[in-house]
Amino acid sequence: MHWIALQPTPEAAAAEATLSDATTAWAWWALQFTPLVARVEDALLLEVSASARLFGGAPALRDQFLKPDWAPALVQSAQGATSLIAFGRLQCATQGRASVDSVPADALPLSTLVAARAHLPTLARLGLSTWGQLRALPRGGLVRRFGSGLLDALDCAYGQRAEVYPWLTLPDVFDAPLELLSSVESAPALLFGARRLLAQLLVWLRARQRGVLALELLWELDARRSNALHVDAHHQGGSQGRLELRTAQPTQDMGHLARLLAEQLARVTLPAPVLYLRLRSLQTQVLAGESVSLLPEDMRHGDSLHQLLERLSARLGPARVRRLHLHADHRPEHMQHWGAAIDVATKSGAAHAYSTRAAGQMDEGNASRGALCPTWLLATPLRLDVHRGCPHYQGPLTLLAGPQRLEAGWLEGAAALRDYYVAHSATAGLVWVYCDRLGPPGTQAPATTRKTGCWYLHGLFA
Amino acid sequence: MSASVSPLRRVDVHSDVWQADALAGAAARVLATGDATLDAQLPGGGWPLGALIEVLQPVGVHSEWRLLLPALARSGTGAVVLVGAPQQPFGPALGAQGLACRRLLWVDEQAPAQRLWATEQALRCADVDAVLAWLVQVRPEQLRRLQIAAAEFDKLLFVLRPEAAQAESSPAALRLWAAPAPPGHNDGALEVRALKRRGPPLVQPLHLAARPACLARLLAATEMENALDRTAAHA
Repeated sequence: MHWIALQPTPEAAAAEATLSDATTAWAWWALQFTPLVARVEDALLLEVSASARLFGGAPALRDQFLKPDWAPALVQSAQGATSLIAFGRLQCATQGRASVDSVPADALPLSTLVAARAHLPTLARLGLSTWGQLRALPRGGLVRRFGSGLLDALDCAYGQRAEVYPWLTLPDVFDAPLELLSSVESAPALLFGARRLLAQLLVWLRARQRGVLALELLWELDARRSNALHVDAHHQGGSQGRLELRTAQPTQDMGHLARLLAEQLARVTLPAPVLYLRLRSLQTQVLAGESVSLLPEDMRHGDSLHQLLERLSARLGPARVRRLHLHADHRPEHMQHWGAAIDVATKSGAAHAYSTRAAGQMDEGNASRGALCPTWLLATPLRLDVHRGCPHYQGPLTLLAGPQRLEAGWLEGAAALRDYYVAHSATAGLVWVYCDRLGPPGTQAPATTRKTGCWYLHGLFA
Repeated sequence: MSASVSPLRRVDVHSDVWQADALAGAAARVLATGDATLDAQLPGGGWPLGALIEVLQPVGVHSEWRLLLPALARSGTGAVVLVGAPQQPFGPALGAQGLACRRLLWVDEQAPAQRLWATEQALRCADVDAVLAWLVQVRPEQLRRLQIAAAEFDKLLFVLRPEAAQAESSPAALRLWAAPAPPGHNDGALEVRALKRRGPPLVQPLHLAARPACLARLLAATEMENALDRTAAHA
């Protein structure tokens, strides 16, 4: 048996401040080396003899284990043949003694044995200070004097009895609380706490080899310092706030998530100070490894497109970031639709993500239809003045080509009867105008000639 | 020794240094503009990648597609981001001229600061091939920031600004002025002046054929038909 005991140093917990719970993070990290990981007080105990060969021997395993890729190794560790020896040596190490791994079990002080702590004054009066001295006493008398617990612990410590702990497992859902050091008044300042939770999430995601698709950040308001707004919120059913974050593709990129969170938090106002934060994963997905090219010129430089879209949408609003959808229609304003690039309604993952490589659009089929159309379309057609039967847009227009007659939309109740012309303007170049044959709004009689119809500007050739 | 030997040959100096009477060589990658006349007047023979290209136009006139579409159509398969386009870009027409609709991405934002931010973010994305930004109020240091981002990520960046910006200084590597040619020139030509380029000043404005082939054929055919009609009426 080979046990390793480990404890994050107190200064690491304060100075590092990147993880919300360093001991738990170390436990998750340890679980990839052995399934036998237990937590005793603030320390972790793990038994690695079964997996030592896989990692190339116990020393190699220990080196790998103590150098995780997510944190500097600000921990103290010790090893021993049983968990209690390792734990006892760790206690010595935290008290500042050097080269603890060579301390023999008999020489360990009794204060490092958890079961003996209750009897320390009595033991001291008996003149006992080390494990070896205690073990030398007759067993029967020891049980009568101190109960069986001390003797059982001593048997475990010397490997004469099996050691059983409640073994830790990796949770299926990430759910971590964080108590803030001071109450936070503004929502953007919550980001500092959230970053620590995200770092913790990253350790969990790496251990499970998953990427996160959706997560939520919850915060609890300080009820004692509430204002009127908060009382209202309380009556409406909660002193909690909640923010949901979704990405199109599973990710382990915490920088991206932190940026999205910052954009969302910038729009939140807190009715009362916040004391507690909580981060929970809602949806995760197995993350396939990425194959990276060895050639430097193949390395892609920059963010991916879905990250860009999510960041733009988070700050500017999803409706502002648009992609093009084409429809089969004859009316120009219905031939295309600029919709949100990120599907806000469903937002359920990669299938809805914008992809420039996606095939199946009607691009190619439409290639010939738009050849005679202008490249700029006015969102609402501009009514043109007509002088002596000639439409004016920044001066008189010369009709060059047309009419191209359009009659559509009668089935939907929005009939369009138009004659399109390509016209030339002295200042704006070629423009696309149409004569509405429905006549001016209000009059029922259709205009039969282009002299009487209303003229509209609908596009600009650029 | 003959006097014609130049004391300093061009190959001797660094590629970023050029003689004032000749165009600079291609320092970085370029993308052909699709027009031989324009290519001949640009350093390296096309739009430079990873550099800020500024196109100035009169207010209310937007001829940028004619100037930029051939290059955008060939720029790759990644997204083409339009930041703050003045009107709705009409997808079917752009598709007919070679720019696939699925590549288009339109950031419809009015605030100048947000436009700048969105432009810079788009430049930092690996899947974006070209960025077109319509910036009205912008300071030279903000343009310089975009120039640096474009250079770092090797992107095609066009900044489209109103004519009035001509008086302001600009860090752009290439600065053009474009507008429809005044009447009397070749029908529907696009007049282009180089305000700033790595080379001698361009004395004569360029006139580029500005109509898509299909439209030009339609207009020619209509004109011919009208002429025939007039002849018939005379007869």
